[in-house]
Amino acid sequence: MSSAEAAAAEKAAPTVYTLEFRGTGSEYFRIWIVNLALTILTLGVFSAWAKVRTWRYFYGNTFIGDHSLDYHASPWRILIGRTIAVSLFIGYEVSGAFDPSYALPWLLVAGFAFPWLVNSSLRFNARNTSYRNVRLNFTGRYFEALIAFVIWPIAGIATFFLLEPAARRARDLFFTNHHTFGGRPFHTDFTPWNIYAIYLFGLLLFVVLAAALAAGVWANFHILEKAHGLASNSFVVGASYAALFVAAYLFFLMLGPIINTMVLNLSLNNTVLDARHKILSDMSPLVVAWITVSNGFLVLFTLGFFYPWARVRLRRYETRKLAIMMDGSIDDYASEAFGTQSAVGEEIGSFFAFDFGL
Amino acid sequence: MVDGRYFFPHSARFVPARAAIIGRKALRIESLDAVMLDEAPLRDVRVSARLGRIARRFEMPNGGCFETDDNDGADDMLRGARRHSGQGWVDRLERSWRTVALSVLLAGLAGYAFAVWGIPAIAAVLALDTPASISKMMSDQTMVALDGAYLQPSKLAAKDRDKALALFARVAAAEPHGKNGYHLMFRGGGIIGPNAFALPDGRIVMTDELWKMVKNDDEIEGVFAHEMAHVNHAHGLQRVYEASLVPATIAVVTGDVSQVSQLSVILPGILVQSAYSREFEQQADDDAAVTIRSIGGHPSHLGDLLQRMEDKLCGKEGCGPSWLGSHPQTSIRAERLRSEDTAKKKQP
Repeated sequence: MSSAEAAAAEKAAPTVYTLEFRGTGSEYFRIWIVNLALTILTLGVFSAWAKVRTWRYFYGNTFIGDHSLDYHASPWRILIGRTIAVSLFIGYEVSGAFDPSYALPWLLVAGFAFPWLVNSSLRFNARNTSYRNVRLNFTGRYFEALIAFVIWPIAGIATFFLLEPAARRARDLFFTNHHTFGGRPFHTDFTPWNIYAIYLFGLLLFVVLAAALAAGVWANFHILEKAHGLASNSFVVGASYAALFVAAYLFFLMLGPIINTMVLNLSLNNTVLDARHKILSDMSPLVVAWITVSNGFLVLFTLGFFYPWARVRLRRYETRKLAIMMDGSIDDYASEAFGTQSAVGEEIGSFFAFDFGL
Repeated sequence: MVDGRYFFPHSARFVPARAAIIGRKALRIESLDAVMLDEAPLRDVRVSARLGRIARRFEMPNGGCFETDDNDGADDMLRGARRHSGQGWVDRLERSWRTVALSVLLAGLAGYAFAVWGIPAIAAVLALDTPASISKMMSDQTMVALDGAYLQPSKLAAKDRDKALALFARVAAAEPHGKNGYHLMFRGGGIIGPNAFALPDGRIVMTDELWKMVKNDDEIEGVFAHEMAHVNHAHGLQRVYEASLVPATIAVVTGDVSQVSQLSVILPGILVQSAYSREFEQQADDDAAVTIRSIGGHPSHLGDLLQRMEDKLCGKEGCGPSWLGSHPQTSIRAERLRSEDTAKKKQP
């Protein structure tokens, strides 16, 4: 290669890889239902294997370019973690049943253990995730987790949610900035004003929706009942109120996903790996909210059986709107050396339904 | 020979490669022009379990990794060396429509059985095991919340209060917890209007508006007996436990809370719960009928009062179909209570 060519290659425009999910609803349905049946038949023991198969299915079908992600956790470690989590829960319940005051030491220990749970959970999942044979890692420390997951949320509640957006920002920065891929750091940053703008927009949306609902009720009362003289329990008035409240309920349900998606976009679009590779996120808050809410109803009306399709549907959309702009090759990336890790923290965390992800 | 790609130890760098098992003992990875890239005893290689169409991974002891999309080829190669890749049987179950159909059946039946028998049974056990101190604490909190938001001080005359207390004591004497097990509290109903409700620790609140609608002693005794039955069965606590068990179960079944979270968890919770509490109302009505008969009254009078309350609140046509509300349709309840009168005549 001549030096001119080398310089050209050096300057080559970054390549954009759009993420792609290649799994299908019917394929995942079969995996889900068989693993669920096996979990029921084994009284829950198989759930550790079911979890690994589910994660492997979703990671293994998520492609960046020609390569998929991969999930490596050992079901046995997860089983041990779950057993410990369940034992702790039973211990807490039983001692609390004797005397509620016995529950206090448990809660105290849980409070102190919480930052540790956050870190070990994130670390377990990161270290068991790979792309092109290279593992991720999570490097958060106890005090950093304490500040992001305990101090900030308390500040958020204590200020009647005035500081909640700032707390969310602290959590997102903690999450992203402590992940590494092959030892290279992820980094994101955005100003508090960016996130406050999103929450203000959400508040505005809420006020508009509430005003629209109030106007609808007013119109119902004054036009249908008073002007047309319909009885308040007649079919027309009843149906009109019902339609009004169902619509309002749907819109209010969509508020959460809308805000979450906007924050996610903000955080991801500022994320850079190794100071070179940029993440691009173009998820439409409205579409995500629509998929989430309609999924919820479809799952409800099918008594849960639509769940696999719902999950694949959301994942498809999310991956399609995510891309990585790679500036140069990652051929020289290599996994850091670290020992395998127990799943205790992760499983205690997920057993008590903490959701640490973004 | 299986085609795929080989990743160098711990590295993202890869080349197209082929894998073969040599003499049933060793896995050898070669580049396409037959240069040896890696080799290791088969027993030291971690082979990932087959799952859907995702790539199969052969993790070498040195951190290298051979990856192939040819799942059938990989299985053939392993079978030739009598090596099982774990969980192959799960994959076969997942690909057979017969086991999928069986699983749907099993999951459906298990889910149904758990919703119909499991959750109420667990909630009942938990509710009856709940220490009195917790019931009291919860009742205190509920009372504070209600007093702050809806209820007002009672304006009932002393003579009415005395009469209500006397009737209350008469009913309580016939109930399992006895005279000291229940406490009557008077409140102005505010926007709640005519109503009565029970708290887990035995406190029963009656609004002034309800008292004003009562036409005879049997009616209000019926109300007291109904509310005492809620206390006896710890219905309030059961409702709290059911409320937390339903979403917990859904989370377990779907395997994760985050994905479809909010809706699919909350909505069925509400629907299932209102079905459960309808059963509570029926049970309380039935118990009340027995108590009222035992002290020489007519359960039908409670039915009359219920009907009158609904007529006042919603007009003659009723408030709505029964599946919408937590209480069964009033006309059905009144009918049932009236039939309890004849039950008395049959077996005096």
